[in-house]
Amino acid sequence: MFNLLSWWYSAGWADFLHRSGATLANLMDFFSIDLLFKTLFSPFRQISAGSAKSASLDVKFRMFIDRLVSRFIGAIVRTFVIIAGILCIGVVAIINLAFIILWPALPLLPVAGIILTILGVAF
Amino acid sequence: MNNNIYNYSSPRAKSARASKILNTAPIKFLLIFCAIALLCLGIYLLIVKSSLGWLVASFSTLPFILFIYTVHYLSKVPVGKGNNINDLLSTNCLIYLGKDPTPQSIAKIIKNTRSGRFLAARFGITEQMLQFVTNGQAADATPVFNTALEIRNNLGAEVVSGGILAISLIQHFPDYENLLRSMKLSIDDLYQGINWYNHIYGLVLAAKKHHHTGGIGRDFAFGYTPTLRHFGQNISEIRPTIPTQIHQVSHQEILNRMVQIFSQGGRQNVALVGPDGSGRSTIVSAFADMLMDADSHLPANLKFRQIYLLDSAALISAANAPGEIETLLSRIFNEAYSAKNIIICLDNAHLFFEEGTGSVDISNLLTPILEAGGLRIILTMNEQKYLEISAKNSTLTNSLNKIIVAPASEQETMLIMQDKVPSFEYQHNVIFTYWALREAYRLSERYIHDLAMPGRALSLLETSADYPEQGKFITETSVQQAIEKTEGVKVQQVTTEADRNNLLNMEELIHRRMVNQESAVKTVSDALRRASVGVRNESRPIGTFLFLGPTGVGKTELAKSLSEVYFNGESQIVRIDLNEYVSENDVSRLIAEASKYDNSLTAQVMKRPFSVVLLDEIEKAHPKVLTTLLQMLDEGILRDSENHEVSFRDCIVIATSNAGANEIRQYISQGVPLDKVKDELVNQLVKSGEFKPEFLNRFDEICIFTPLSEADLLKVVDIIIAGVNQTLAPQKITVSLDDEAKRLLVQKGNDPMLGARPMRRIVQQTVENLVARMLLSSQISAGSTVVITAEMVQGD
Repeated sequence: MFNLLSWWYSAGWADFLHRSGATLANLMDFFSIDLLFKTLFSPFRQISAGSAKSASLDVKFRMFIDRLVSRFIGAIVRTFVIIAGILCIGVVAIINLAFIILWPALPLLPVAGIILTILGVAF
Repeated sequence: MNNNIYNYSSPRAKSARASKILNTAPIKFLLIFCAIALLCLGIYLLIVKSSLGWLVASFSTLPFILFIYTVHYLSKVPVGKGNNINDLLSTNCLIYLGKDPTPQSIAKIIKNTRSGRFLAARFGITEQMLQFVTNGQAADATPVFNTALEIRNNLGAEVVSGGILAISLIQHFPDYENLLRSMKLSIDDLYQGINWYNHIYGLVLAAKKHHHTGGIGRDFAFGYTPTLRHFGQNISEIRPTIPTQIHQVSHQEILNRMVQIFSQGGRQNVALVGPDGSGRSTIVSAFADMLMDADSHLPANLKFRQIYLLDSAALISAANAPGEIETLLSRIFNEAYSAKNIIICLDNAHLFFEEGTGSVDISNLLTPILEAGGLRIILTMNEQKYLEISAKNSTLTNSLNKIIVAPASEQETMLIMQDKVPSFEYQHNVIFTYWALREAYRLSERYIHDLAMPGRALSLLETSADYPEQGKFITETSVQQAIEKTEGVKVQQVTTEADRNNLLNMEELIHRRMVNQESAVKTVSDALRRASVGVRNESRPIGTFLFLGPTGVGKTELAKSLSEVYFNGESQIVRIDLNEYVSENDVSRLIAEASKYDNSLTAQVMKRPFSVVLLDEIEKAHPKVLTTLLQMLDEGILRDSENHEVSFRDCIVIATSNAGANEIRQYISQGVPLDKVKDELVNQLVKSGEFKPEFLNRFDEICIFTPLSEADLLKVVDIIIAGVNQTLAPQKITVSLDDEAKRLLVQKGNDPMLGARPMRRIVQQTVENLVARMLLSSQISAGSTVVITAEMVQGD
């Protein structure tokens, strides 16, 4: 019992903190948040890619427009993914944070339960 | 070191024993079930206005806490902070170790640990062996723990595992070195075994870890490559759970160089040039893994770049008209360039620079791309092909960043094999022993010449998986069987009684088909007996002999007999008549590459590496030819015209010569002892300039063949008649000669200059003619025995 409690309030707690961090890092990687921010206005899937050095002016203009559209689509798609990612990461972070805060209190909950039962507290 | 007294009641030991009970699937399920059930019941009670709900719900935390503790702590009790056995013993050892352990009780628990079982399967360190080396003295346990701790510290292991305890127990056995020697092991081999186990276990843990690969938005900024996808394979996509391991320092340096080349400006290409089997493809795979690892410290312009292997066969088959392949490749290169995250890899790049049917030459298309440096390209090829391409198109090779890929050393090859073993074991459902790995290195180094290390060792190791022993163990013998089947060599030492008898009675067996020449036969037989038990220099042929003597005294016959007795058949003989190699230009014919001239010496030995090489009439060969043969006699190696190494190390090389035949006759007729004859003759041959001393010195033995006496020739007649009887066996006719007839045949067939050579023709003709006439005139029929007399011989 002593082993359990000493682990719970030392290495166990730190371990949980570490695992929470790893989970958030995995989610960050899954949603590629930093990568999406860095490339927010890059052309989407390089759809407009092509050399325009020797092209005529109207072709160059069309390519410029294509690239602009591609960048615009890319920004929208990325923004959606970023928002979804931030929401997901936020929810997981809140749950983890709650658990981290609750962690030291967990072994004490039975004591609280006994007190509340003795006091006859009910909904 | 008193701190290494095992404490049965230490917190770690208690936790480990608790884990034995709690860390089981049913208990863990029960804990989770109780937690959920209590929580649900508590909530229900609260809903129905019962304050007891608080108590029930709050008590759900207890099984939950116990569950978390079991999963995250008890499953692998972490090591303590001290450098003592109680803090460093592995969880499995702690679970099974009882109070007051003795070396014998420690030995008993080894089998319950993963590393202990690993040593048992791979190194034969079984429980029985450990019981044999241990005693029941409790006082001896502490020294065992002390040594185990030392081993752990020296090897840099995380814990004192069962395997380490096993080694420590062995080290405390007074005669452990001899014991291990009898198992063809050393203590260092066992240390290597621990490192091997720790490495594999580390890889398993690494595979369980989550890998960061860039996520769903990784490729948003990069283009589509439909044509490339069709004609290439994205090796970055087929990322293994365990990243490709690089054990060679030189390969790690190549990876760093590749990162440098591709992340800086300039020519964006790398040509990995090295022999086949040296690990060129592994480097490309490791590079692909590196680029796709989000946690690797790479420049941003390289991260998440994907490597596509172009399939030359698919490209060739897709192109129906001339020029179509260039169009297709042009489209692929454009796609790759536009996508901005592609590195094209031309594996075995020479396939893309060959002309002719079924080939493609894209050098004209590729050279400007390589020179411009806009598209990242990796090419892999061997040195020979690189030189060929360079000779054809130096502009192309000049635009490449060439990196030499060196073959692996023995130590590196062993580590690479250890890495590959789990996947071979999984594919073939076998277990590889340590001896198998060592033997795979040794034998592949010796017999496989078309691949470099580690490829050659890995290839042999994988082939040996088809020859398991005792169920599913791949042992030294499995590897030997594999090389014998694939390379046609004989590497296993004599094991059967029949083989042993053959070797012990070799002289007798040889004399069944040739007479006299006792000295030569004994010399050769002794050499073969030494070779069969491994007492010989393995960097030379099994034996090299120069047979000197007149014609028709049995020189060639002895070579044939050896082939039959030692190599199980007369067909295992490579015969080269050196009177066909009398000019300097003939050297190229002697060592011509197999595909160009399959009768060359090197080509024939490549096909039959385990044979008698008979070099007839060596005195007639051009001196340059003899010089060419020096390396073969000395090191057992000859390089063919294409510089391929051909091994003669499993051959018996016999050179025959008639040089000095008259002198031999003279000496023998004067009664000079054979040893003296040899010395005199060698001096004369050197003086007369027929052979150079350095050439004669290369032979293990020079054997003098003496002229045959009349008594010898009578025996030769018997041997020839035995051969005739074998021919007549299907007709059930037996021939025998009376003594007079034999003498008459000897008189007719003996020629002092040609020895017994005309004898065979005369005896065969005489006897076969007689038998044929008798058969036709119905004088004899099936089952008859013909006794040939002198009169019959004379009348023929």
